[in-house]
Amino acid sequence: MFQIDFGSDGQIICSGRLDAAQCEKAQSFLDAVDNSRTIDFSQLEYISSAGLGVLLKTQKRLAESEAGLKIVNVNHHIHDVFRYSGFTAIFDIETPNT
Amino acid sequence: MQKKFPRSYASLENIFKFTERFFDAENIGEAVRFPVHFVLEELFTNMVKYNPGNSNDIMLDVNRVQQNVTVSLTDFDVDSFDVTQERNVDVESPLKQRKVGGLGLHLIQKMVDSLEYNYSDRESNITFTKGLA
Repeated sequence: MFQIDFGSDGQIICSGRLDAAQCEKAQSFLDAVDNSRTIDFSQLEYISSAGLGVLLKTQKRLAESEAGLKIVNVNHHIHDVFRYSGFTAIFDIETPNT
Repeated sequence: MQKKFPRSYASLENIFKFTERFFDAENIGEAVRFPVHFVLEELFTNMVKYNPGNSNDIMLDVNRVQQNVTVSLTDFDVDSFDVTQERNVDVESPLKQRKVGGLGLHLIQKMVDSLEYNYSDRESNITFTKGLA
């Protein structure tokens, strides 16, 4: 089960598993974001390459207005995927230890 | 363990339940589960995406062979598409020049220990292994 919503502090909270079957839900939510936001991945267990596409598409759109996503509390499995994808150079990413 | 799954993204939930039962039975941890799920999803969704008119289910076979997990996907009555071919994917350009899509087949090569593709009699078979050590 994948969930995405705003937390009480305005951060975006993702939880569960972001696989290809859940990308439409994630993209629909993020398409409504129009300024810089922090996404908390502390409860996100898994992301697929389709999920990476959702993040990249959103980051490219936000960058057109000098905004962007900051992704925090990224587990090390997902961080490995970000590193292999070159996302560490185009997103502001924090792991629990940074 | 072997099972056929309908050619649909909606099958992913049942595929992950199937593999989780295997991992639990074999006492295999998240360090292997995550990359196996990532690669399995990428290969399965490619089969769904590029053969949407095909009504055949896709066969999944998951086994432990000594200190490796071996995963095999077989797709029936399809054209050849070799997922092991090297693909030029840009992971270094600035954000503006990055293209959305195409990352998956690049990433799977980094996440498994072996990846083989075989095609015969209109059957595609992809087998990958992930070491437990």
